[in-house]
Amino acid sequence: MSQDNEKLLIDVGSTYFKLSTPDSIEQHFRDFNKDILDDLLQKSGSTIERFNKDDVHICSSANGGLSTLIIGLTNSFSLKYATNIAFNSGINIIDTLLYQNIAEYSVPGDLIDVVIIVGGIDSHSNIFGQDLYNYLEQLNYSNIVFVGSEKDANSVAANIDNLAVLPNVIDNRLHIVEEHLKEYLTNLYQQDIMGKEDIKNLYQITSNQIFSTPYVVNQALPHIDASYSVVNPFILLDIGGATTDIHYSKDLVDDNIVTENEFDRLVFKKLGVYKSKQSLIYAAQNNEFTYELLTHLKVTENIFDEQSDKATKVLMQLAIFLVLCKISHYRKAYINLKLLAINSIIITGGITKVLSVEEIENIIAFFYRKILTSDHKPVTILDSNYDIWTLGAKEIKHVD
Amino acid sequence: MKVVTGVVGNDIHVVANRLMELSLNARGYEVFNLGVNTHLEEFFDAVVETGANILLISSLNGEAEGWSREVKALKSKYKNLDDLIMMIGGNLAVGRGDAEEIERKYKNYGFDLVCHQIDLNTGLDWLEEFIEKRKTQ
Repeated sequence: MSQDNEKLLIDVGSTYFKLSTPDSIEQHFRDFNKDILDDLLQKSGSTIERFNKDDVHICSSANGGLSTLIIGLTNSFSLKYATNIAFNSGINIIDTLLYQNIAEYSVPGDLIDVVIIVGGIDSHSNIFGQDLYNYLEQLNYSNIVFVGSEKDANSVAANIDNLAVLPNVIDNRLHIVEEHLKEYLTNLYQQDIMGKEDIKNLYQITSNQIFSTPYVVNQALPHIDASYSVVNPFILLDIGGATTDIHYSKDLVDDNIVTENEFDRLVFKKLGVYKSKQSLIYAAQNNEFTYELLTHLKVTENIFDEQSDKATKVLMQLAIFLVLCKISHYRKAYINLKLLAINSIIITGGITKVLSVEEIENIIAFFYRKILTSDHKPVTILDSNYDIWTLGAKEIKHVD
Repeated sequence: MKVVTGVVGNDIHVVANRLMELSLNARGYEVFNLGVNTHLEEFFDAVVETGANILLISSLNGEAEGWSREVKALKSKYKNLDDLIMMIGGNLAVGRGDAEEIERKYKNYGFDLVCHQIDLNTGLDWLEEFIEKRKTQ
């Protein structure tokens, strides 16, 4: 059995399991025909048996997270603030809807895990009306929360069943107020993880709370220099099987969001290299620089149809390029980062097992030359031993 | 009444911006100051979030000229801003310019009140006169 200082850290991703002990890191491709626990025990049973339940810490992003629809008044304030809070709460799937155009939006057919209604400072009133209630009547959702104007809260609550009402996310100086919505969403996410049958079974091997992986990574960022010589400001790209997470220093954003967080998170939900492979290829085909990049890599478009190690490498290189495009001024996204100010780019996730530093630097240099017409060269750091995740998991352990 | 104000575009004249806020406060307005380097969309979005009645844009280095051409097109995307009082003030031209010509141009861009190189208090008097006049209409 384990010694006091020995802990087993497990990350259950959409594509891989990772296990970290004081002496080793194991990684296994998941068998999607099996229950997560069965698969884990079959592949790493001997490692898991060495540890007490108290010494096993698990995080997971495998359930895909909560799906969220945010209905807000403006792109610069209510929608932006709520989106920022949702990303930082570990949520991956976020759609936004501008309230003034609500009648023009089609109603999603899928079940939405949580709807967030936001908008207006507390002294503003009569913002939301019948068109909101008509839309919600057609929408299929599990939870709904109001974080808009205090003056409107009662009338909105009177028209929507089971509405949770929290303090406004916009204060009277138009600044963001994070804590209440963040706590609500984090708890909901936690309940969601614990409610999934596959994840529930994992409590057979741990007596600790199972956290979401983005939350764990975020905990590591302020301490990242313990593992690497990272020069601030930096971005961390976690390119996984289903999604791509970006964690970035707040210094990289000229923005009206002023919080105490040093780091924010952003997710591209359809930019992964396994589960989201088709949407990644679709995004690539719609980027005017892709063909030039393929030529640069000495391959043709036919590589998209191939099943080979070379094809996987190219796909991962494309993922890096597309993510950088999406956070640059080349593509107007929810947020644009000052990419010329970046000193370090840290790459983590399954991608580190496939690409070398040189192959990644090649793509980053291509991006800076073509999109930003610059020779800027941030230092590339490959987190190939999952040190960042291990660091984050240890931080959570300390909090416990 | 609620006023959204700030300095448009890549303009960092923070002192004038602060003086504007103080003067508006002294006259009893509820002021939402977006500060310097503010993009046009943020001004309109702030009006929507606060329910402001007045948008007062300032510019001191001629920066407003380029941005103001977008005002009508951008404002038309918002559904409930027809009654918004649009005011702009400061140094609205690059180099020398004919004041009457500048005023005509900015009114054409969609502003109700244009204060090119006008003293702050005079400009705010014009605003009050405009509000009174609108009440009687």
